[in-house]
Amino acid sequence: MSIETSESDSERPVREISLTVNGETVSAEVEPRLKLSDFLRNYRDLRSVRVGCEHGVCGACTVSMDDAVVKSCLVYAVQADGSDLLTVEGLADDGELGPVQQAFHEEHALQCGFCTSGFVMATRSLLKETDHPTDEAIQAGLADNICRCTGYQNIYDAVHRAAEYTQEDED
Amino acid sequence: MSGTGTDARPESHPDAGDEGETFTGTGLERIEDRRILTGEAQYIHDITPEDCLHMALLRTTHAHARIESIDTSAAENHPDCELVLTSEDLQAEYHPMPCGLKGFEEWSLAVDTVRFVGEPVAAVVATDRYVAEDIIDEIDVAYETLDPVVDPLDALEDETIIHDDIGTNVPDGEEFVFGAVDEAFSEADTVIEREYSWGRISGVPLETAGVVAEYDPDADSFHIDCNIQLHTLVDDTVYETLGYPPERVVLDVPADVGGSFGTKIAIHRYCSLAAMASQQLDGRPVKFVEDRVENLQGGDMHSTQREYSVRLACDDDGTIRGLDVQFVDDFGAWPRYPVNQTLKPLSVLTDSYDIQDVRYRYDLVMTNKTSQTAYRGFGVPPHLYAIEMIVDEAARELGIDPVSFRQQNLIEPDAMPYEIPSHNIYDSGDYPAALNHLRDHVEATERVDGGLLDPETIEAQRADGRYRGVSYTLHIEPGVSGSDWTDRQRSDREALATRDRDAVNELPEHLRAEITEDGTVRAFLAADSSGQGHQTLVTQLLADELEILPSDIEVEYLDSGAAPTVYGSAASRMAVMLSGATQGLGERMQSNLCQLAAEEWDLDLDTVSYRDGAVERIDTNERLALSDLVAIDVANRSEGERLTRARYDYDHPATTREAFDTALTAKYPVYPTAAFAVNAPIVEVDTKTGEVDILKFYTLRDCGTQLNPVIVEGQAHGGIAQGIGAALMEEFGYDESGQPQAVTFFDYLLPSIKNVPNIEMQHSETPSPFTATGAKGTGEGGMIDAPASIASSINQALEPLDVVADRIPMTPNRLRRRIREAEATNDQ
Repeated sequence: MSIETSESDSERPVREISLTVNGETVSAEVEPRLKLSDFLRNYRDLRSVRVGCEHGVCGACTVSMDDAVVKSCLVYAVQADGSDLLTVEGLADDGELGPVQQAFHEEHALQCGFCTSGFVMATRSLLKETDHPTDEAIQAGLADNICRCTGYQNIYDAVHRAAEYTQEDED
Repeated sequence: MSGTGTDARPESHPDAGDEGETFTGTGLERIEDRRILTGEAQYIHDITPEDCLHMALLRTTHAHARIESIDTSAAENHPDCELVLTSEDLQAEYHPMPCGLKGFEEWSLAVDTVRFVGEPVAAVVATDRYVAEDIIDEIDVAYETLDPVVDPLDALEDETIIHDDIGTNVPDGEEFVFGAVDEAFSEADTVIEREYSWGRISGVPLETAGVVAEYDPDADSFHIDCNIQLHTLVDDTVYETLGYPPERVVLDVPADVGGSFGTKIAIHRYCSLAAMASQQLDGRPVKFVEDRVENLQGGDMHSTQREYSVRLACDDDGTIRGLDVQFVDDFGAWPRYPVNQTLKPLSVLTDSYDIQDVRYRYDLVMTNKTSQTAYRGFGVPPHLYAIEMIVDEAARELGIDPVSFRQQNLIEPDAMPYEIPSHNIYDSGDYPAALNHLRDHVEATERVDGGLLDPETIEAQRADGRYRGVSYTLHIEPGVSGSDWTDRQRSDREALATRDRDAVNELPEHLRAEITEDGTVRAFLAADSSGQGHQTLVTQLLADELEILPSDIEVEYLDSGAAPTVYGSAASRMAVMLSGATQGLGERMQSNLCQLAAEEWDLDLDTVSYRDGAVERIDTNERLALSDLVAIDVANRSEGERLTRARYDYDHPATTREAFDTALTAKYPVYPTAAFAVNAPIVEVDTKTGEVDILKFYTLRDCGTQLNPVIVEGQAHGGIAQGIGAALMEEFGYDESGQPQAVTFFDYLLPSIKNVPNIEMQHSETPSPFTATGAKGTGEGGMIDAPASIASSINQALEPLDVVADRIPMTPNRLRRRIREAEATNDQ
């Protein structure tokens, strides 16, 4: 049965937030319970932010918030008020893949790709902390992300290659 | 064996100008990657039309209960509510969902009785998902709880029946006897008999199920975007539920799907419900995206759960005389579409062993658990596990080295093609050589000073309670399903004995292509994809066939309306079928283009030839490029007669081979390619904690011709990672009241980078004599073979303690319990 309603009947609390996303300042009115992942996907159309588990285990929604990696499904949008966010959409430079993206492509470190943005963001963060991470450091840095298609061997290779590319970029 | 190697790395597009350069067989970089890596890929979760409404489902918390009443009035009064549906609404206008067995009537929302925790009882549509879930809470359902049936062996007793109208919890079962089984068992020197369990695991793709349905009131038709797998084959589960003909219910799967592994073939409930909701709302688009808790507890995505009883008849000299496999398969609340996973193991009945006398018997039981779907291997992994376990124990009981025992019973290369007792045929392979090769390599590398199997290290670790071991096992991956066997359980089995070959239906694979005005080529796949790289595969093959560059080819997907019914992406099928289809399509297109050019030049067909992306006059070397040919075609021919468009259907490789007739007519599973793998995982078991550490995973894999070695290797790595999860970590447990114990990723443990060891992978290539390109398919490997091989290595490691990995997954607490029991027995 269909029910006649008018959408304005609803009174849901909202709060104004203002933040930077991929270098662009944005403001919005959001419900306090809106997850950051849903804000980025639905309000900003940032499709790289993937929602896999919504309870902080799979890591597909990993983004950078004030230079720290966070799982955006565990953060409310209102908590990101005033912060500086970066997603995969902010990594490619004029259509050229960034070093981590390029390395994942070349090492075949993705298949279905649903986890890939999360891995890319986590790898980027790892490489900011460690120029040339050992396999143990890669394990520690990527243990919060799950891949279901490709396994992890090609991901190790991709991180090592990304480390080379990142160094070359800086040299 | 030929061509073993360990390094497959993607290659950028090879230089076009190189004479004789081909793309097939190279690790051409994937076409799919760029859009994924830049956030431009569009998965189903990303599709939200303007004006879209969102659906949420009320799911029961009871395992078994009668629905006394449903009060939806408060929900309907919520200001953001657009629609509430219950089974009463569905029954008024729609139909039950097709079921795997005759007699069952399953509706998209529960009618009268709920039969598993998580079963949907009502649907709510509202302006967004957040508020739809608010409204769900306003629905009041009164239940009378009933006794649940949770354990499959209890279910056999039929004390509590979960489908009154069926009258039993065992709606299907069958016994197959091949050869003289009773004689083999009575005459053999020894009979080994054991029981094994395989827990409820599944593919658990990172992307959950999703659908966006839109009803068109003017055309009285539906367009359903969704991430269902096999969208042209299983579309009947949606259009029959809606009560519409197929041409008015189009299923469209996006080019990017976040994994499926078989599981998403059974998401028709969601597709149907969203479509019904859209129809009830006069065509407003309705979106449903399953959350992870829904996916894990009631997403109809669990897979095989089996209790095995296995017997092996052997002579003292190590000859296996007979095999007797019986199992009870717990299908949960409803026998779903992929019910045939109980039968697929018939296609690899004896795995890699030469055994003529075999009994295979199953009972399919219903319990108050989530329904099963398909998962990578479709019932084969537990079968291979049960066989390898009993072979281990036979070797142990006979006092024969397990590798020698296996070698003695392997199918010999000169027996290929080899028909197994259940009438499937293995195409090619030298199993003894493959097993020897990997065993020699691992022993030479690791059983040496400083190696992982250094005898001194093994001894030192053992003194510390850590037991190391390795086992060498060889497994068959049956590839390329046909389709005609998969309704065996709904067929009159008596009639099958006299069935005619002409009555056998097999589904070819369809591919079509057209040349566009600028001379580039657009190809269209009839099957969906979920990460396997089909666009890349077709691009590289078609580039070779038409002698053009991959960058001049674009590959797109057809929806279920435009595509013919094909089988699609399942059963390690697409590499074989798509490569065959691409080859055929390329030849047809070349011949069309030659005809077009010959007409244009007014020459005989044999005086022109196709070369390097153009048709050439043999006399003058004058050339007509693809763009020229399109212009000529458009000028001279009507839409329907264009020669720059072609389509091709590649027949299933069993279709024209008489050797498969017995299997095909009697609806035995036919898988005409036998890829294989030898595995040697080196494991270390900590007897104090029961934890298993895989120190290194050696594997030698053969999937026939490797069309793209990088993709082949990626599939194998991913498969092995899933196999490790299955063997040691993952399980959908239930408590005695039928409450699911794994409803988040904190409970259903997926392997992370910390759980997957270094994998040393070698490849050999034994081309299939049955397929167009020699490819055998490789999509299910790893998951098919890793669990059995890991369990076998655990058996080897724990042999001194007399402990056997008799249960999958072999979690630390289970293994610790086995060790404790063994220690208690040994101390007596």
